[in-house]
Amino acid sequence: MLIRIRNAHIVDPANRRDEIGDLWIRDDTIVAAPQDGAQADETVDASGLIAMAGGIDIHSHIAGANVNTARLMLPEYHRAHARRPAETPLSKVGWTTFETGRLYAEMGFTTVVEPAVSPHHALHAHLELADTPIIDKAILAILGNDDFVLGLMRSGEGASAIRDHVAWTMQTTRALGIKVVNPGGVAAFKDNIRNFSFDDVVPYYGVTSRAIVKALQQAVHEAGVPHPLHVHCNNLGLPGNFETALTTIAAAEDLPLHLAHLQFYGYGKEGPQGFSSAAPQLGEAVNAAKNVTIDVGQVMFGQTVTISSDVLRQFSARGQARPKKYAIIDGDSNGAGIVPYEYRAGSFHNAVQFAAGLELFLLIDDPWRVFFTTDHPNGAPFTTYPEIFALLMDKDVRAQWASRLPPDALAVTTLPSLTREYSLTEIATMTRAAPAKLLGLSDRGHLGAGARADVALYRSGKDIAQMFRAAARVYKDGDLVVRDGVVTHYRYGRTLQVTPAVEASMQRRMTEYYDARYGLPSDFMRVPEGAIPRPQPFEAVACRS
Amino acid sequence: MSLKDPVSAEAAASIDGAPASLDDATAAAARLLARSRQPLIAGLGADIEGARAVIALGQRVGGVIDHMHSAALLRDLDCLREAGIMLTTPGEARVRADVLLLVGDGLLQTWPSLIERLLAPPARPEGAEVKRRILWLAPRADATIPGFDRDLEVFAAGSSATLAATLAALRARVKGRPVTQTQLSLAALDALAGAVRGARFGVAVWTAASLGALEIEMLHGLVRDLNETTRFSTLPLSAPDNGAGVLAACGWMTGFPMRTGFGAGVPIHDPWRFDAERLVASGESDCVLWISAFGAAPPAWLSAVNVIALCERTTQFAKEPNVRIAIGRPGVDHDAVMHSSDTGTLVAATASARSGAPSVAHALERIGASLEDANAQPC
Repeated sequence: MLIRIRNAHIVDPANRRDEIGDLWIRDDTIVAAPQDGAQADETVDASGLIAMAGGIDIHSHIAGANVNTARLMLPEYHRAHARRPAETPLSKVGWTTFETGRLYAEMGFTTVVEPAVSPHHALHAHLELADTPIIDKAILAILGNDDFVLGLMRSGEGASAIRDHVAWTMQTTRALGIKVVNPGGVAAFKDNIRNFSFDDVVPYYGVTSRAIVKALQQAVHEAGVPHPLHVHCNNLGLPGNFETALTTIAAAEDLPLHLAHLQFYGYGKEGPQGFSSAAPQLGEAVNAAKNVTIDVGQVMFGQTVTISSDVLRQFSARGQARPKKYAIIDGDSNGAGIVPYEYRAGSFHNAVQFAAGLELFLLIDDPWRVFFTTDHPNGAPFTTYPEIFALLMDKDVRAQWASRLPPDALAVTTLPSLTREYSLTEIATMTRAAPAKLLGLSDRGHLGAGARADVALYRSGKDIAQMFRAAARVYKDGDLVVRDGVVTHYRYGRTLQVTPAVEASMQRRMTEYYDARYGLPSDFMRVPEGAIPRPQPFEAVACRS
Repeated sequence: MSLKDPVSAEAAASIDGAPASLDDATAAAARLLARSRQPLIAGLGADIEGARAVIALGQRVGGVIDHMHSAALLRDLDCLREAGIMLTTPGEARVRADVLLLVGDGLLQTWPSLIERLLAPPARPEGAEVKRRILWLAPRADATIPGFDRDLEVFAAGSSATLAATLAALRARVKGRPVTQTQLSLAALDALAGAVRGARFGVAVWTAASLGALEIEMLHGLVRDLNETTRFSTLPLSAPDNGAGVLAACGWMTGFPMRTGFGAGVPIHDPWRFDAERLVASGESDCVLWISAFGAAPPAWLSAVNVIALCERTTQFAKEPNVRIAIGRPGVDHDAVMHSSDTGTLVAATASARSGAPSVAHALERIGASLEDANAQPC
């Protein structure tokens, strides 16, 4: 099958293209225009349409035990995931794996990473991902508050043991990368410690958050995992926590490090309420630290639910639950907290959070190092993405939104002074080219010959949100799955995994460890391919060479 | 995995008690479902693949799905949906709990490896062993946990409303508030209150099969209060017959727990309206697809309606089902994913005595394939 997409406005920053041209798809791959005069089996007139590679979301809590607990906790919340505006037939459907895949595809996203899977729950996460249609998926496995890693550090076993454990965990859980959540803080909470910063010491283990981050950063790098260690820092949400983020950035030294949902660390203590945006300081630090990447975790107003493996933070936030219910889970390694929350435009704090996220987007100058997320659903459901694109691309839209916010909140931010508008190329960089590079997915995120034919066509128009809300056409692996913003064809994608080599001695060691500590076989968390009810459910991603 | 394995041609099936081929049985089942005013898929003793197939079939026929342990599952779930709760895992309880607060009866029945997994081994949160206290709010003073009699501090806390009152009194004493009449003496209550307040990481353990909603809610409140000063969590034991696994699959596939109906074209969850027993008693449902792959006995109320049974070969019914298909046991006859009470997670089990017996998912897939034919036939 040879498809020619004619006269599209091709926005492909990885290949430095921003021009009207044709795009050729042969089966599941993008190809160069045939030189032999071969005729297309199908020609699509894409005049007035913008062509980008399929979008890639690097941090969105879409599957797994914690997400599912949130679903079951909030039967009344399912409508929050309906595509906005809310009065559509979709507003009555549940917030399911099926809807997740469909709604992402309709926005032109084709690859999504679930960033927080506790290793013991890997199979559950993979089963949910297998029921998430159209898009390709991946998980990040969480390490760093677990007794095994902390025990290795306590006994001074050094870098190679931690690297081997990273490799074992990735292979066992079929992960694309490793995340650490409130390093040390979650472990300390088990001992009833309720505040934990970067240089505090975890009781018994005698290690600091700094030491955990540096050890795992090194281990992930040495294991050849393309995606650098993905860090959820200490002190999320607290006034003055920008200093924690600055300290973490400085500690990264020269190795790559990814800081997740930086907006939630963008807070100073200035102003009438002792709560202000410190996004300018963070933006400056990120601009200077070329080894660091971040995603934003933009806040949008409305009902949502926060789902986090940072059980210490979620425990502290339980009093702010809206509606008043929550689950705090003391897990085998990280656990979780699920706390529903409603961000309100009239709230001073929420307005500062909204502004701080946009400031980060607008003040970090390199779109290859700032990633587009709402930390779904923590800052907002992913269905708000179209509105955020509009906020980034149009300063008049921002001004309209800002006019709704408390003026004293805006006064402790720099948002009103920012005039930058993202270009289509910058949007495509941030949501396509850069994520592919960050995750080591060489066949994604671009439209050059040889790329996987994941393509989104958007109808160019003044209403930017509408343009990104309903893609005109989406191809997944060359298969047309969306027309005029509606899924027309269901198929199932795969789950991507990186498999670093595992030392046989680490397997023996884990067997002994699980037997001694839990009286369980270490393979209870295994994810056999046969347990996943799709043909060829996994796809290998190469290690960094 | 089961759907990828071959199925034995001689799978045991029957129609109106007479032996039948699997094809004839699934075709007869499809005809019953197609003719039903309100198909009800109940029991749901199934592995994850079976649960997925149930939900898919439920959507297709506009049916209702309900699990045999929904009532207990929903008692626990109601607290998640209405209040703040703390939860932990069997592993954390085993490794870290220096105080275990066992509440009510039936723990061993719900979790047969309770003693071996949790009560017997010492806590070992960090380097050294920690001796744990095991407190039991038992129905009576002479209650026992068969197989475990050492170091068990038994408090006669009563059951039902009495237990709820005892828990309320304990919660009051934990906060230093006065109490009047209670089942336990003030001295005993204060000893208990001191024990739970003194925990470094305490865990309350119960099974919703033997507690009412009020007791469960009171327990969560007690644990909330304790966390103001120390660490305390809960381990509600998971229901048998893969109840927690089926609940999880319902959650991700429909957004709701079981007791969900698909008749309106979208899933609607209503714990009263879609209670299987009520639907049969009221005459709203005239056809039940009863699924029980783990050997649980069928309920008496099945006798009132047409029944398609996916169950073990030897299951006894008061009234012979219209269609019966003998299915394999997940994890024994075929590979399966199920919730494990030992880990608190979904776990892949390899068949221990692989056979050609169909799985729930197999049988439902065959019924689904026959549905188009059944729908094409005039009534």
